[in-house]
Amino acid sequence: MSQRPRVYTTEGVILRRRNIGEADTIFTVFSPTHGKFDAVAKGVRKARSHMRGHLEPLTRSNLLLAHGRTLDVFTQAETITGYRTLREDLDLCGAAIYCAELVVRFTADRQEHRELYGLLLDILDALDARSPLHTVRHFELQMLGLMGYEPQLDACAICSTRLPEADVLLSASAGGFVCAECRAVAGAGRVISVRAIKVLRYARSAGMEAFAALRLDEALAREVQSALAELIRYVLDREPNTGKYLDQVARLPRFVPRADRPDDVHSV
Amino acid sequence: MAEGGSGAPEPIARLIEAFHKLPGIGPKSAQRLAYHILRAPEQEALALAAALTEVKQRIVFCSVCLNITEADPCNYCLDTRRDRSMICVVEQPLDITALERAGGFRGLYHVLHGVLNPMDGIGPEDIHVRELVTRLQSGEVKEVIMATNPSLEGEATSMYIQRLIGPAGVRVTRLARGLPSGADLEYTDDVTLSRALEGRQEL
Repeated sequence: MSQRPRVYTTEGVILRRRNIGEADTIFTVFSPTHGKFDAVAKGVRKARSHMRGHLEPLTRSNLLLAHGRTLDVFTQAETITGYRTLREDLDLCGAAIYCAELVVRFTADRQEHRELYGLLLDILDALDARSPLHTVRHFELQMLGLMGYEPQLDACAICSTRLPEADVLLSASAGGFVCAECRAVAGAGRVISVRAIKVLRYARSAGMEAFAALRLDEALAREVQSALAELIRYVLDREPNTGKYLDQVARLPRFVPRADRPDDVHSV
Repeated sequence: MAEGGSGAPEPIARLIEAFHKLPGIGPKSAQRLAYHILRAPEQEALALAAALTEVKQRIVFCSVCLNITEADPCNYCLDTRRDRSMICVVEQPLDITALERAGGFRGLYHVLHGVLNPMDGIGPEDIHVRELVTRLQSGEVKEVIMATNPSLEGEATSMYIQRLIGPAGVRVTRLARGLPSGADLEYTDDVTLSRALEGRQEL
């Protein structure tokens, strides 16, 4: 027991926070080497705390932690990337919080997950570079794959015959798409268009940057989004909290707050 | 049960338990507080009890700005010398106290009683956003100053409200962000520093 070094360093992305007591906060961190874990920052809510800004959610930081009895304790923190751009945009920020929530919900404590960590950094970098919001679909599909829930996109999830190039049924409980013959066995599901299936296949094979460059019309983007949302809901057995918030934000009237955002111009 | 784990008589055990429920009070502090009350002069203890009852009975939320107040509407909302074209939006009633202490603001307030926290499922319907929108309908308000904390949640709340009320033609501004006095540049995070640099001013 006493042989263990008292402190350790790791980098990590801060996923969420929970305030406790007068000035302390418990942060959930996702680290490439230690996986997801909770640790406490003492006095971090005081104005003179040195760690304050470095432990904001959606910050990638270098961390020094001391082993504690129940929770480890942050002793130093220094920002690697603050992701300022995504922080200052309502849509990008919501998308990033959603991805962080998926990592929280899909991972178990203290399980190393270097690839998922890399994927999380990719999506945060992409959103910080103002990638279109559909880039999140790439994150979702790749994450499902990394966690062992990759949906069957080429063959029927029940009888394994090759899927026809036509609209097919998505059955989350069967684990993917289902051919016409097996529909009765699969039961309820949502019919997905060939175009959406192709987008999903592209999300599987392409890199994030290439996928971000795709041009999706709104209806198609929404179809792909609901297909993935259904698969995720099935695996988690719940709706991610952030999903509801994203819907509320999407329903807000769009306008141009500043002249420097031509990408987001949608007349009301 | 009556003698509890602490072996104290039932009334004391109950008091200990009540203190223990307060934020930041552990079992030991709760015990110390309870025994302090026991030893304290009777008037002192009764005054505390009366204060507790009073705060729950006499304090209400202002029907206009949702600040905590004894009389509805609150003093800020009633004060005719205050500028009615400006509303400063804060997270908690205590933030009003801080802003008033700092001085300089002579407009009205609006208390949200929370911030959006999407991951924990706290959405716009859980904080008092709707009441703010209603207040703007009279057209009297020209500027809304977002004074939420410069945290991820606070900023998300500000941006949400900006998009919600911006189309109504109200000017939406936000408190400047930068270095607090007494800060060390060395320990300041990159986001704050870059904002401070952008917001620099002529000496």
